[in-house]
Amino acid sequence: MRARINVLVRAELCNIYGWNVFRSSRDKKVKKRAWSMLAVWAVLLGLLVFYMGGLSYSLLFLGMGDVVPAYLTVIASLLVFFFGILKAGSVIFRREGYDILCALPVSKTAIVASRFVRMYVEDLLIVLVVLLPGIIVYVWEVRPGLGSYLAVVPWAVSVPFIPMAGAIMIGTLITGISSRMRYKSVVAAGLSVLAVLGVVYLSSRIAAMGDGSGEDLLRELSVHTSALLEKLYPPAVWVSAAVVKGQLWKSILWAGCSLAVFAAVAAVVSRCFHWICQNLYTSPAEHSYEMERLEQSPVLAALCRRELRRYLASSVYVSNTIIGPVMGCVMAGGLLAVGAETITENPLLPVDVEGAIPFLLAGVFCMMTPAATSISMEGKDIWILKSLPLTTKAVLDAKILMNLLLFLPFYILAEILLFLALRPGGLGGVWLVLIPAAIILFSCVYGITIDLHFPVLDWEDEVRVVKQSASALLGGMGGFLLAFLCVVGALWIPAEYRDVYSGCVCAVILLTAGILYRYII
Amino acid sequence: MLQIEHLTKHYKGSSKGITDLSLHIAPGDIYGFIGHNGAGKTTTLKCVAGIQDMDAGTVRIHGVDMREDPIECKRQFAYIPDNPDIYSYLTGIQYLDLIADVFRVGAREREERIKKYGDAFGITPSLGDLISTYSHGMKQKLALISALVHCPRLLLLDEPFVGLDPKASVILKEIMRGICAEGGAIFFSTHVLDVAERLCNKVAIIKAGKLVASGSMEEIMERGNTLEAIFMEVVEDAGEDQCVGESGAL
Repeated sequence: MRARINVLVRAELCNIYGWNVFRSSRDKKVKKRAWSMLAVWAVLLGLLVFYMGGLSYSLLFLGMGDVVPAYLTVIASLLVFFFGILKAGSVIFRREGYDILCALPVSKTAIVASRFVRMYVEDLLIVLVVLLPGIIVYVWEVRPGLGSYLAVVPWAVSVPFIPMAGAIMIGTLITGISSRMRYKSVVAAGLSVLAVLGVVYLSSRIAAMGDGSGEDLLRELSVHTSALLEKLYPPAVWVSAAVVKGQLWKSILWAGCSLAVFAAVAAVVSRCFHWICQNLYTSPAEHSYEMERLEQSPVLAALCRRELRRYLASSVYVSNTIIGPVMGCVMAGGLLAVGAETITENPLLPVDVEGAIPFLLAGVFCMMTPAATSISMEGKDIWILKSLPLTTKAVLDAKILMNLLLFLPFYILAEILLFLALRPGGLGGVWLVLIPAAIILFSCVYGITIDLHFPVLDWEDEVRVVKQSASALLGGMGGFLLAFLCVVGALWIPAEYRDVYSGCVCAVILLTAGILYRYII
Repeated sequence: MLQIEHLTKHYKGSSKGITDLSLHIAPGDIYGFIGHNGAGKTTTLKCVAGIQDMDAGTVRIHGVDMREDPIECKRQFAYIPDNPDIYSYLTGIQYLDLIADVFRVGAREREERIKKYGDAFGITPSLGDLISTYSHGMKQKLALISALVHCPRLLLLDEPFVGLDPKASVILKEIMRGICAEGGAIFFSTHVLDVAERLCNKVAIIKAGKLVASGSMEEIMERGNTLEAIFMEVVEDAGEDQCVGESGAL
């Protein structure tokens, strides 16, 4: 059993992050694409390292050194948990190689175990990027005893276990429920988004349960933060104490308990693995179609309809891209619920944030635009579009239009909620409408431009496109990064120049989108 | 109808490709394209269909250059790959509807043609099912119907008989003959030499990206008893530099 698990684990890990393809391929395009991806990852990880190191240093500077390991644990665990919910189903119940594996003399437990290990290794790399910079700053400043150094190792390697176990349980539940539905992908995507929203809501409720006011927070920041972290994720504070006090046995005990939870979840999942896979991969064919009236449609409408069907057919595609617009509506609804003045007139906020709200809304909407991976999502079907008498413009227009139509209802809802919350007058209302629309349009065109340069068409698993491609990282987040830069500008600019700033930014964004559009068609 | 002149296509980092290939397919031709695995048949068809760019050479369909006006060229033909990856998230009828919309086929015509070919290939009852539930042969049939729904003058088919059941193979051959009888043309690759011998009026043999023989079936058959024997002889005899053109000389 163990030997078979080892073989499967080796097979799973040999191409982690596309390493084996990079190593074995002689195609220069593959190498170039891999180097581009590496560069993108290096920049993103560099930013994360810088951020985590800075956060750790800030906590130490405020005299809150004791909460650093707990803080790092919570951040790493939340990252693993959130992304785990969205990817657990597609990784554990992956179609690729399933038929061949099932025909081999290996147990389902071995298949599940190998996939768990793969997911663990991927998550461990992310966790280490979060933990190491922070903990290096911590040990540099605090100079703890040898016990703390030793306790760090079991702590660090065990951080992914529990959030992964939770995420996989939720992911399995979602996949299991949706696998019995006719519209599996849509149901799975809907449930995934609901799960993420539920976690966000619960987190905010737990955080709000703290009885400290703003003044208390400033006075007893360390105690309050520690209590908050304990409410959010109790094990973080417990294991943090082991690292701070150098209690190696406690750290090892923690690692053992986490591993036991992880193994228990693996055992549960392996019991229902085959049943879920069978439901997922077998679609009933009715063989009962009778010719009915067909209607001719304009080419753009036909292509756009096809784009929408393609989009809705992939749960991982939907759940990763619809979360932005949903969060945008939640943000707007939240602002209406708590009252805009809570934010705009909050004395704790050093700047006037009202001018930045349109950019913030756009940023949340454009966290990951579908258009940015829409070409790569064609995959091996690309021959159809290439052999049909279609102009590049028609194909790209359909992709952009589908993205805009998809975002439209969310955009309208968010705008209504924001208008009710902020009650802007004159130009303020114009910018509230125009700025998010301009940035959404830009992010669609920019995303497609990037995808045209870094297409991934030889994929077997949609996860490779939606989560791991350069298009998803560079293109999908383009609008988000642009909005973030604009937010910084809006916070910095004096209130009397806000309209000029918003107008100029809007014009530049639309002009750039126009130039990019002309370039790609 | 289809003129391929000095087509050259090589992949970076690979010795495979096409070198200086020229072929003329006239109206009424059923032109068989045969060769070993990896000889360059699929690459040739993909270049002709505008799916892959050429390094050199020209492809003209009805006198229109593929590089100059690819859209007009693509309106004239239908292409089917050897392993038709078709949008698995659409139902069969949705896919056919999409293709008919792209080629601007009227509602009544598309209904008639889909019914006609769907019944002929026996997949009409399955058209309401997702393509992901189709077998390889059913996908092949669907791809063929999508190719026929807009009545193309030229069919480019890569291994069209692979995966088809015997009845569907017979029907496809009848359809191919019918298209050519009405002035259309078919250029198709195949491994099945018996089919090529019985169906084609012209044939081309390719080895390692180079054309080693081409011409009418009568001219080719002067070399031996069966196409299979001739194919083996020609392919084994042909040196790397031996390349015989459209004249039919072997």
